[in-house]
Amino acid sequence: MTTIAATGTDLHAHDHHDADHKPGFFARWFMSTNHKDIGTLYLIFAIFAGIVGGAISGLMRLELAAPGIQYLQGWASMMAGKEASLDEAYHMWNVLITAHGLIMVFFMVMPAIIGGFGNWFVPLMIGAPDMAFPRMNNVSFWLTVVAFIMLLGSSFVPGGTGLGAGTGWTVYAPLSTSGSVGPAVDMAIFSLHLAGAASILGAINFITTIFNMRAPGMTLHKMPLFVWSVLVTAFLLLLALPVLAAAITMLLVDRNFGGAFFDAAAGGDPVLYQHLFWFFGHPEVYIMILPGFGIISQIVATFSRKPVFGYLGMAYAMVAIGVVGFVVWAHHMFTTGMSVDMKMYFTAATMVIAVPTGIKIFSWIATMWGGSVSFKTPMVWAMGFIFMFTVGGVTGVVLANGGLDDNLHDTYYVVAHFHYVLSLGAVFSLFAGFYYWFGKMSGRHLNEFLGHLHFWVFFIGVNVLFFPMHFLGNSGMPRRYPDYPEAFAYWNGVASTGYAIMAVGILIFFVNVIWSLLAGRRAEDNYWGEGATTLEWTLTSPPPYHQFETLPVIK
Amino acid sequence: MIMLKKFLVVVAAMAMPSLALAQPANPAPAPVTKEVAAPVVATPAAAAPAAAEAAAAPAAAAAPKSMDGSLPGYTPMRPDYANSVGMPKAKEVDFQEQFSDNGQYAKWINNAILLPIITIISMFVLGLLLWVIVRFNRRANPVPSKTTHNTFIEVVWTLVPVLILLGIAYPSLDLLAKQFKPAPADAVTIKATGYQWYWGYTYPDHGGFEVVSNMLKEQGDVAKGERFRTENDGPKLMAADNRMVVPVGVPIRIQTTAADVIHAFAVPSLWFKLDAVPGRLNEKSLTITKPGVYFGQCSELCGARHAFMPIVVEALPPEKFAAWVKAQGGTMPGAEKPAPAAAPAVAAPAAAAGTAPTTDTAAAPAAAPTK
Amino acid sequence: MAGAKNHDYHILPPSITPILGSFSALTMFFGLVMWMHPEQFGYGSLVFGLGLLGVLYTFFAWWSDVVTEAHAGDHTPVVQLHLRYGMIMFIASEVMFFVGWFWAWFDFSLFPVPLEIVKDAETHAFTVTNLIGQEGAAALMQWPPKGLEVLDSMKLPLLNTLILLCSGTTVTWAHHALIHGDREGLKKGLLATILLGLLFSSIQAYEYLEAPFPFAGLNYGTAFYMATGFHGFHVIVGTIFLAVCLVRANKGHFTPKQHFGFEAAAWYWHFVDVVWLFLFIAIYIWGGWGAPVHA
Ligand code: HEA
Ligand code: HEA
Ligand code: CUA
Ligand SMILES: [Cu+2]
Repeated sequence: MTTIAATGTDLHAHDHHDADHKPGFFARWFMSTNHKDIGTLYLIFAIFAGIVGGAISGLMRLELAAPGIQYLQGWASMMAGKEASLDEAYHMWNVLITAHGLIMVFFMVMPAIIGGFGNWFVPLMIGAPDMAFPRMNNVSFWLTVVAFIMLLGSSFVPGGTGLGAGTGWTVYAPLSTSGSVGPAVDMAIFSLHLAGAASILGAINFITTIFNMRAPGMTLHKMPLFVWSVLVTAFLLLLALPVLAAAITMLLVDRNFGGAFFDAAAGGDPVLYQHLFWFFGHPEVYIMILPGFGIISQIVATFSRKPVFGYLGMAYAMVAIGVVGFVVWAHHMFTTGMSVDMKMYFTAATMVIAVPTGIKIFSWIATMWGGSVSFKTPMVWAMGFIFMFTVGGVTGVVLANGGLDDNLHDTYYVVAHFHYVLSLGAVFSLFAGFYYWFGKMSGRHLNEFLGHLHFWVFFIGVNVLFFPMHFLGNSGMPRRYPDYPEAFAYWNGVASTGYAIMAVGILIFFVNVIWSLLAGRRAEDNYWGEGATTLEWTLTSPPPYHQFETLPVIK
Repeated sequence: MIMLKKFLVVVAAMAMPSLALAQPANPAPAPVTKEVAAPVVATPAAAAPAAAEAAAAPAAAAAPKSMDGSLPGYTPMRPDYANSVGMPKAKEVDFQEQFSDNGQYAKWINNAILLPIITIISMFVLGLLLWVIVRFNRRANPVPSKTTHNTFIEVVWTLVPVLILLGIAYPSLDLLAKQFKPAPADAVTIKATGYQWYWGYTYPDHGGFEVVSNMLKEQGDVAKGERFRTENDGPKLMAADNRMVVPVGVPIRIQTTAADVIHAFAVPSLWFKLDAVPGRLNEKSLTITKPGVYFGQCSELCGARHAFMPIVVEALPPEKFAAWVKAQGGTMPGAEKPAPAAAPAVAAPAAAAGTAPTTDTAAAPAAAPTK
Repeated sequence: MAGAKNHDYHILPPSITPILGSFSALTMFFGLVMWMHPEQFGYGSLVFGLGLLGVLYTFFAWWSDVVTEAHAGDHTPVVQLHLRYGMIMFIASEVMFFVGWFWAWFDFSLFPVPLEIVKDAETHAFTVTNLIGQEGAAALMQWPPKGLEVLDSMKLPLLNTLILLCSGTTVTWAHHALIHGDREGLKKGLLATILLGLLFSSIQAYEYLEAPFPFAGLNYGTAFYMATGFHGFHVIVGTIFLAVCLVRANKGHFTPKQHFGFEAAAWYWHFVDVVWLFLFIAIYIWGGWGAPVHA
């Protein structure tokens, strides 16, 4: 393996001992062709988007804390600059949930986990000097930025009953076509086009990089599991996003050019949109979680001081999840009136995914089994992930039963399910990765105590926040409701309390990050010790501006 | 035979067939209904604002107005608050009590099979993690083992979940088959149409009258003299001025469709949820086991007032149902000619949404729908 | 070892094109939104045009850089391999894009709804009514919708099929000429392909003008025009791509060993060709089966 160029020397950001010269500020951050800098940009962007999306969900929990319409009318009036009607207040709710869903999915999780960690660590882990298409890498980032600008902009223009796009993140027709007049929904659609293009280009970049830039000796079956996870994810992106692009283009055609795709009166089929959306949408949920699986695998192995148990099974389980993920989409559509045979097929096919996912869960535990486990912050998040993702996954299996989904569909049970796999799954894996690699990326250690504190406060907060939603769903509270009958008040109040606890956790996180950046202890090359065996640990922290000028050779 | 079919479906799914087009098959449209008939000559989005404005609420029919929704020979049933029948209960964690056979079966499948299984799986994973914490922490186990493979255990944790899933699939597919048993030919048909933002219930077997059902507002929110919600009507946000009245104990066939955007007809205590899609007629059968009032809410995002178009089903013994039908100006099947439409047709709201007014709709001489 | 570079990858200097292109795309799309909503905004077409110019400039500048880098020897064998992978995957994503449009077509054609179409003899305007659930609906459940005249697949569409197939051979001719160092053959083959492409587009445009069904207000029309229209757009893009190759060939670019720019254009052209075959079979022949043909 490589020896390291600048070990022991002071590697401050503007240090001149680096292997080569860094460009000036503008060229470095606005014209970047460096995978690590682009990764950093993605992470900063994702954190910003996470704050926006998280703040919006705070507004939502505030409104839902008690029955009745408390704040919506005020917020709608603020947005419009004039007294808002009750209908405009209700519309404001739909705008909030739409923005929250889209931001969290497209501008927080995906940029962080693929754009951020993928960019940073795929080249490092396979021993490559950069990505295959460094310039295209940067266009992926900036397209994501402009997509976000477009989405935020949509909240300031008319979208039907009030300002902004109030269609839900699923943008179902005909609510999104004939049901939403005004430019807002068009802007939201173009935002998805831009973000989609960014992701497709990113996917091409990752696949090419992983297939062609592995260091000598790094066969596919020696690749770290995080790289495997990004590879599978990239394929899902490549094949699923274009279908979404077609679907939302159809929306545009119907909206603006008299198209009849979803206009029933002219022979169109509103349910067609749902098929197209979920053909993308279901793979999309695995896009959000697979890289997280990869991160967890690295962390569990590192802190157990053991190689991953059942490596091949782990890799091919992800491939299986990816493949099966393409043939289960209509489990989101059990109540659209599909035939019984189709319901049976989609019920059975969906449940199949529990098997490869179970292989992953048990292999992580088997990796720890017999290990010498140290519970550093990343490991604590990883264990939290394994438990919470299981809870979210098994409620998915409940929903997979078409006959039960007849009651649960579009209730808070679904909201509970997907926040367990997302806000307690994907987000936990994000934090785990962040604590794991922060030292490598910044050269500074995060504080262990604050890290643990963040974990426990956040863990308790999100459980108090999302667990009661199962109860609300069981007893029949529908999704996307700004107001609810008195009977649902109790658990909604509990959930909103959970939000407050969770918010304290996020605050601790930011204190930790800022404190560490300013005054954190300097990170050694391999600060996790002998358990950390992948190539990024052979480099300095942070790595040189261009690493692996001499390719490492893998035995 | 059924078992074999189910087994085949499971096997097929396990083998991951490349299922091609997934196009829901519609149940055969009912013969008597009239449906969206839109003269469409390019309907660009521009046509919609009018719809959004105008569809607010259908015009009031000139009919005797009662402040409690009662009609000659019919008084709305008071919901059973004491037992929370047909409505959510405060602090409840479980499903609502079920009042259809399939609902009871489904609730049983969840509570007796799925919930225990998923709880055990989650607790099992948690238990293993806790054991790792206790037994394999660095102090307790300073020297890590080198084990990275064990074929036996890997086969076990693949096969056991497969068996569990097969165990779930059996009752689950059975439930699906039962839910899809088509209603007998003589079942009472009711067509529920979703509008932005209220429901219309048509009774094609009873002369085709339509009942328009709007959410009842609170006393403070309505103009003087207008009807508002009382405890007799139901809980806040769940009560409607005119209910969908159905006979109890006999199979009914519920058809759903919509005039503008997608809505969903959902009643949790009947385990019933079916999307109302413009241009489609979805259909499912239902038998309610006990007289009562069952509340539901629109369950597909349909715009601003999505949360404010409740569904209220009142199940009555057949004689009382017949009296209600009569009060609506309808006829029971088998009786002679339908009575001449009792009141001027409710200005069909569909017209506002760019669809042609229905022609064979007799109006509900019900209380004026509130805005 | 620091600085001792032992790899052939292409490490790029910073570039302004990505951010320029992204903000141009933002301007373009926002301009389009403005343009589509004159009730809200003025000057939409202007903003759109500005953005489009920026996007086009970005494409030009970007690929100019790529060509320059290729000539500077940056495109080592492994970098060429990257480009190949990139192009293949780009085409794969395009295939999935077309899957969406075919999906719509098959949805409408395999599960027809009862449409009643009345054509005004004088104005040729269409009135479309969905009779679902009404009497006589069953008799109307057919595809293409009853009362609709379709294009005769055995006339211009067949001709277009032959044209595209033919263009597939001319581009292969050009490729072989290039490999064997026959520069004139390369240029002729390219020129022939471009001309065939233009011919195809012209015939397609003519057919659109003649087509007996509208774009708006009818599922058949919308699905037909969007599927064939996106294909047509790809033909135009492919033609431009080939034209750029012709210009480059005239400038003396491409060698028998290294000519990925040309190969990418050729692959793209074949992709467009294959999509057409599917369109021809699924939309023109099968999708119009049994319907009266427009004279
Ligand atoms: C990260 C995102 C993510 C992930 C990973 C999943 C994973 C799964 N999801 Fe989820 N889902 C969403 C995000 C996600 N989902 C979102 C966002 C929605 C709502 C979208 C919207 O409408 O807005 C949704 C909605 C949704 C629905 C539709 C509900 C409805 O609208 O009515 C269904 C139905 O089948 C479903 C099922 C599943 C299943 C079976 C899995 C499986 O992959 C889970 C597998 C995992 C496990 C089962 C746990 C671990 C396994 C073991 C420990 C082995 C042993 C287990 C058994 C034998 C059971 N999901
Ligand atoms: C990844 C996806 C994601 C995440 C993380 C969240 C997080 C949260 N969501 Fe969710 N939500 C969705 C995706 C997500 N959500 C979707 C898709 C919908 C459906 C929308 C629709 O119906 O159309 C939805 C809907 C939804 C609803 C239902 C609304 C309704 O139906 O009316 C509610 C209600 O309480 C809610 C609340 C919350 C809350 C309180 C959080 C809190 O957990 C938020 C706290 C904030 C964070 C946890 C983020 C912190 C992260 C960072 C600061 C970045 C860190 C970055 C690095 C480490 C690199 N969300
Ligand atoms: Cu109607 Cu939601
Ligand atoms: Cu799914």
